[in-house]
Amino acid sequence: MSTESLFNELQRSSLSQSISQLDAIAGALAQLFHIAGFLLILTAILLVNLRLIGLGLSKQPIPKLAKAAKPLVIYGFLLLLLSGLFIFLPSASLYYPNPAFWLKFILLGLALVIQFTLYRKVTSLESPNRILASITAVLSLTLWFGVAFAGRAIGFLN
Amino acid sequence: MSVVSFLQELHDSAFGTALRESLYMFPLLEGVHLIGLALSVGLIIVTDLRLIGWFLKEVPVADVLKQLRPWVLSGFLITFVTGVLLLWAEGPRIWEIPVFPLKLVLIVLAGLNALWFEYKYGRTIHVWGVQPQFPKGAKLAGWVSLTSWTAVVICGRLIPYLEATQH
Repeated sequence: MSTESLFNELQRSSLSQSISQLDAIAGALAQLFHIAGFLLILTAILLVNLRLIGLGLSKQPIPKLAKAAKPLVIYGFLLLLLSGLFIFLPSASLYYPNPAFWLKFILLGLALVIQFTLYRKVTSLESPNRILASITAVLSLTLWFGVAFAGRAIGFLN
Repeated sequence: MSVVSFLQELHDSAFGTALRESLYMFPLLEGVHLIGLALSVGLIIVTDLRLIGWFLKEVPVADVLKQLRPWVLSGFLITFVTGVLLLWAEGPRIWEIPVFPLKLVLIVLAGLNALWFEYKYGRTIHVWGVQPQFPKGAKLAGWVSLTSWTAVVICGRLIPYLEATQH
């Protein structure tokens, strides 16, 4: 099955149908949860990455700050995922031809790769190599902010 | 001159028209406006949560405020400037949506709350900030800030949403 027909199938599924029959308020709420998740995750990532560059909460030990930020990242991601599915499913076919949609998920994939490799490694160290820490921070911030930016662009290309 | 006719003039100006009609400028401004939120509102919320005692409890409150301040202010500048430009391009349409004036009122409220906090508690933060219990007023300012900025974001997100359903 091609991706396009998969997207069409997703839109036709009974779950998608029941979502699209909900009140418009449900759609607005989904958008609000999506932006709440975005704020949680990006702020937490920003706080830790600023610290990796030696800015922001610069007196705070890196592993401690990363540990405090972790629940925000996880809950933010869950909020984004659930509200995102809720927004995506009823209009899957509409998103298929949208280049910003694909860009967003390519960037998200890359952001997650960095999150589970470099970011995880660097934030576990009390005093990581400064250059490596800065590269990680710049990569992580660029990718996560890129996800948000591409996400905002989806609506303009529809 | 009324607000609407002022916004209409901005809208009709060469600059407003160029912004609105540019293929890239408008989405770019929207994107930067959104991203600026993570710095401005996001880091303000971090500060608020510290004041309330829900986040980063082991970091002295004075450090959180002082070290994040330049980022909060630059984030605010980014969101403010992009916001003004968006209004320049689409003012009359945005003004029609009732949540927009509400958003402005909430921003003013949040700003006054921050000024009041700075005036009343800013200079003595090194004294009360090391106590196990913060003054009630300081905590209250944290709550007011948290709720008003959350409401600002909600109103802000509803603007394009309601705009799309209206037109």
